Amino acid sequence: MDPNAVAKAFVEHYYSTFDTNRGGLANLYQDGSMLTFEGQPFQGAQNIAAKLASLPFQQCQHTITTVDCQPSGPTGGMVVFVSGNLQLAGEQHALKFSQMFHLMPTPQGSFYVQNDIFRLNYA
Amino acid sequence: MDPNAVAKAFVEHYYSTFDTNRAALANLYQDGSMLTFEGEQFQGAQNIAGKLLSLSFPQCQHFISTVDCQPSGPAGGMLVFVSGGLKLPGEEHLLRFSQMFHLMPTPQGSFYVQNDIFRLNYA
Repeated sequence: MDPNAVAKAFVEHYYSTFDTNRGGLANLYQDGSMLTFEGQPFQGAQNIAAKLASLPFQQCQHTITTVDCQPSGPTGGMVVFVSGNLQLAGEQHALKFSQMFHLMPTPQGSFYVQNDIFRLNYA
Repeated sequence: MDPNAVAKAFVEHYYSTFDTNRAALANLYQDGSMLTFEGEQFQGAQNIAGKLLSLSFPQCQHFISTVDCQPSGPAGGMLVFVSGGLKLPGEEHLLRFSQMFHLMPTPQGSFYVQNDIFRLNYA
């Protein structure tokens, strides 16, 4: 399995789910998963999904500028580092962000998000 | 060992070494370490140090804005996500960057960099 292809597929799936069916993101996390969102920590799929559902915008569109990935070690994990833009409805300018994911394989042959860190990039 | 304290100590050590004794960064990587620098990939301490030494500026100063960290799994690894500014001599404006490290423990009780991804954040 080509890591770059896996990373690209994951990123497309993650952000399209975020932008069209935000509740569906819960399926990408497990009980031990961690999110740090602008410095605030959350653990577990339920808490993470709740945080993302509670963000103060109903609609958004992510546009991805860069995706870098590397295998993270012998357990088959991958680190994925993304930068891009986040356009909120009614805002003239897009916000810029960086995000890193640590993906771990599932027994069924896909990946879940073990670690997720999100930061806006202020000018 | 408090992960936040470890991450903070590592970040301070990494960037002060980068800014004052860049060649010594080689000690922070091992043979299996990976760096992706602005999309270009390098593997192994020698190749990574070679790339960092070859960057087109003899001096620089990193300023750190944010440091986020999370444990990466049962092997004792840590993910560290940094954003900050990079001042180059003769340049009026800071470059902004994001960087992620995946640190793994050494038998001696310290950490080495298993994964390193660096990206400039363009306005």
